[in-house]
Amino acid sequence: MSQVKRVVVAAVCAALGIVLPMLFHAVPGAGNVWLPMHVPVMISGLVAGPASGLATGLLAPVLSSLATGMPAAPILPSMTCELAVYGLVSGLLSAHVRTGALARDLYVSLVGAMLVGRLVGGALQALIFSAGSYSLAAWGAGYFLTGLPGIALQLVVVVPIVVALERAGLVPARYPAR
Amino acid sequence: MRVPVGYVWADSPLHRARAGAKLAGLIVCSLAAALSSGLVLAALCLLACALVALSRVGWRRALRPVWAMRWLLLAVLLMNALLFSRVDAVLELGPLALTPVGAAQGVRVAARVALVGVLGALLTATTRPQELVGGVRSLLRPLSALGVPTEAAALAVGVTLQFVPTLLREGRQLARAQEIRCGHVASHDIMRRTVNYVRLLVPVFVAAFRRADELSVAMEARGYQVAPPCDKGSRKGGSV
Repeated sequence: MSQVKRVVVAAVCAALGIVLPMLFHAVPGAGNVWLPMHVPVMISGLVAGPASGLATGLLAPVLSSLATGMPAAPILPSMTCELAVYGLVSGLLSAHVRTGALARDLYVSLVGAMLVGRLVGGALQALIFSAGSYSLAAWGAGYFLTGLPGIALQLVVVVPIVVALERAGLVPARYPAR
Repeated sequence: MRVPVGYVWADSPLHRARAGAKLAGLIVCSLAAALSSGLVLAALCLLACALVALSRVGWRRALRPVWAMRWLLLAVLLMNALLFSRVDAVLELGPLALTPVGAAQGVRVAARVALVGVLGALLTATTRPQELVGGVRSLLRPLSALGVPTEAAALAVGVTLQFVPTLLREGRQLARAQEIRCGHVASHDIMRRTVNYVRLLVPVFVAAFRRADELSVAMEARGYQVAPPCDKGSRKGGSV
């Protein structure tokens, strides 16, 4: 994938990171529960690499906050860091994991990014954003319980979307047909 | 559905101001709002009101993000008022205690959030996307000495801002097409409504990536390159 296309894919995924929460907010309380902004960030990392994933993770929450007011200012820094880690780690894992099966590669990268992002997000909350008032229970509730439907959504839709993009020839094939 | 505050055609000092200066002002005001309280926060709120009046954007549009966040702000206010402290409680009910200190803290936090929302709305309402890209480029320029790809960052911001209305329109069209086939997307049943929105994801992504592919091919055909920060030889910038 060329550098120009990587930048454009990162930007389009960031735009989707703004648009999808707008669509999902027609469902009450959907933002915290379904985590719609996470999906394009993960996909950007998986298809265009760590730099694009990182850029999408930084751009989507900041521009969404500017354009729509959500995420709200107090949670913006922590959410931006968390999403940037998702994009970066999904890209890094996607670049290095080669199991021989497309779906397995993608699931390993996706689950790895989801875990690392939550660990880093929790560490940042404990050390910087909510220093002194953050507990393991709050981390479990905030990052796993509340967003359980969102975690399920990511596991269900991210890999099929990447496979659909590959089949449509819109991103380079991971294992070109011999 | 939340609607972004787009550019509002008007002639005001805020519309004429440089985008870089407005962006820098937003960052400084946001930091000041986060770190200040009491009189400084009240002064910042008054400044925001003066800027809204000066911008000729209209109170309704400027306050749209605050309206979109009304339940969040109310929750922040109530949680602080009832849980922040137990000293000099006006009303106690089990673990909850309504205190003047807690209420004041709630008002401060809600004011900070609302202030940043209004200032962000003012920025997007008085600055065209192209100007915003120029502003981002000028603000990031010092970082290019450190190896940060500022041209690529400015390009990404520009493409993102231009794609938001396009993808919104496309998402609505796909939702309408799905409505015709399977019934109303925004059904009253929350679970069904969610499943309907999830079904839209694959076509929305494929359509978005098709547009990304077309745009990158067109840019490359015109010789556009994303150069490393120190490389001055390649063609950079320009409108997308």
